[in-house]
Amino acid sequence: MGYRPCGVYHQYYSQDHAWWQTKFVWGKMTLLFITIFYLIPQFAGMYLISVANVVGYTILAAMGVQLLIGYCGQITLGHAAFLAVGAYTCTLLMLQLHIPFLIAMIIGGLVGGLWCVLFGLPSARVKGFYLIMTTMAAQFITVEFFITQYISQIGGRGVAFSIPPGTIKIGPWVIKTDRDVYYLMVILVVLCTLAMANLLRSKVGRAWIAIRDNDIAAETMGVNIVLYKLLAFFVAGFFGGIAGAFWITSLAAVSPEHFHFGWSLWLVGVILIGGVGSIYGTIFGSLFMTLIPEGLKFLIFFLTQSPFFVNLMPFLPHLLEKFLYVKEAAFGLAIAFFLIYEPNGLSYRWWQIKNYFNLWPFSY
Amino acid sequence: MELFLQLLITGILVGSIYALVALGWTLIYKCSGVLNLAMGELTLIGAYVCLTLYHWHIPFILALLITLAIGFALGILTEVVFLRPMVGEPVLSVIMVTVGLSFFFKGMVELIWGTDTVVFSPPVFPIEPIFLGKIVIGQVYLWAFIASIILLLAFVSFFKYTKWGLSMQATADDEMAALSLGVNAKVVYALAWAIAFMAAGVGGTLLGNINGLNISVGYLGLLVLPAVVLGGLNSVPGAIVGGLVIGVIQNLADGYLSRYTPGGVKDVFPFFVMVIILLFKPYGLWGWIRIERV
Repeated sequence: MGYRPCGVYHQYYSQDHAWWQTKFVWGKMTLLFITIFYLIPQFAGMYLISVANVVGYTILAAMGVQLLIGYCGQITLGHAAFLAVGAYTCTLLMLQLHIPFLIAMIIGGLVGGLWCVLFGLPSARVKGFYLIMTTMAAQFITVEFFITQYISQIGGRGVAFSIPPGTIKIGPWVIKTDRDVYYLMVILVVLCTLAMANLLRSKVGRAWIAIRDNDIAAETMGVNIVLYKLLAFFVAGFFGGIAGAFWITSLAAVSPEHFHFGWSLWLVGVILIGGVGSIYGTIFGSLFMTLIPEGLKFLIFFLTQSPFFVNLMPFLPHLLEKFLYVKEAAFGLAIAFFLIYEPNGLSYRWWQIKNYFNLWPFSY
Repeated sequence: MELFLQLLITGILVGSIYALVALGWTLIYKCSGVLNLAMGELTLIGAYVCLTLYHWHIPFILALLITLAIGFALGILTEVVFLRPMVGEPVLSVIMVTVGLSFFFKGMVELIWGTDTVVFSPPVFPIEPIFLGKIVIGQVYLWAFIASIILLLAFVSFFKYTKWGLSMQATADDEMAALSLGVNAKVVYALAWAIAFMAAGVGGTLLGNINGLNISVGYLGLLVLPAVVLGGLNSVPGAIVGGLVIGVIQNLADGYLSRYTPGGVKDVFPFFVMVIILLFKPYGLWGWIRIERV
């Protein structure tokens, strides 16, 4: 939980358990909430909002991965499959049965969770590399086979399910512009972060962390390992399903290409760069992985505008044209070098900076 | 019956390529304990290098040899830059480094060579098929089979009869004992990556000769994972048998099951098999059984 500055005394357990314990934290969080709920949607341009939506989607999607890898020690390399299950369940319920979006989204989450449990079952017998293999198989079996070959045929809409504008609404609120998506995203991210943080300080969360740190010791302490592992898979799949169902609001058409194997790996990369075993890590990782490629794109775009640099590096226009691949290669290098030189991720760095200023001027 | 034989033989011929790539994979795992998820991209790099050389009018055999040399150099470079700092790190970190490598390699391949399908032109192997009774075999498959068998034999005899091969075996068996006997583990790790790169490069070249070359050849490289799981992760004969079996299973599934499904069985069936193996016999056919409570 961190520590408090000098002179803050608690008289009740409720104070001790509070999330925001000092006036400073209250002020900081209020500012943050004003920023994300009022300042960004009111004053940011459309481009910034769409980037923010991608960041939010990445946070939502990576939250389940963080839970499984960072808190329960179960490595998953197929999380896009569960996102896809959530997205497709939600879309089909809305298009075929005309169920309201909110209910369809929750059902999507539940189905995603159950699907995740199905592929988490081998975790009762195997761990480490073998579990990685099963989750990878989940990706190929779910997305490349079931969804591409069978689910996409439902309703005869072709490979991509297009969602007519105005279908997605919560009560009277029709979600159609990027700004609406942004509001929905912020609400979901706040709810998911809250749910995750609270889960982690409950009995369930402690059991997960015990399993991650030493599963044999956890079992001797009376933790039902299989049950809690499967619960972790369920909750992770639920988060994934919600994330997938949320993302259909931003996509005009849902198709299997949105949930390919690379996206699963991308999510694992996000939490590795952000920091494993930290909710901050998920958020920092998502920010980093979305903003850095955008910045890189701007840099290359800027360089191609001036003839001097183009003469210096004649391959620049080519890079801009194929920016997707530059992004992929840069992402790969970033993961590799982060793991080699900064294995604790960005959240550890953040913690160090915070400590430095907390103890300032005697931080040594 | 003829259909069965046809599928079986094609499966074995393709499976021999998987066996070659799986051998490279197993070698890295055996020697350094690294679970390499970049194998598909290694096949891509080898295949594109060979294709480029071939299109510069270098004879195919020579191009293949140069590919082997380049693979050797790249393998050592990769090991020194990316994998050596990771010795002794947790499993997930090491795996994710290889995932990072796979993204990097894939991005570079797409940047340099583009994403369109390219073919070896003029075709390296004659197109006319060979008839064995009622069974038809493409010459490409036959030559690919012969090439991979030659390379498999070469690698296996390298392990059995040369000093470096023996020291690799020793490191795989017991790293501490090997170190105390004067085996240079760093060289062994680098050598394992070099050989994996070479094997994957040849495998990719052969696959590229069969169906043409694009990014999806890298997906075929992922098929080594079911193969090595079936054979047992740290068993060289297991990798070879696993590769052959996965090739056969894939072709049989394609021949018999694809009429009941809209398609795509061929790509997914090996992974179905893998999940079933993992559930019932996670250490494969000949893998070391580590008794471990989970």
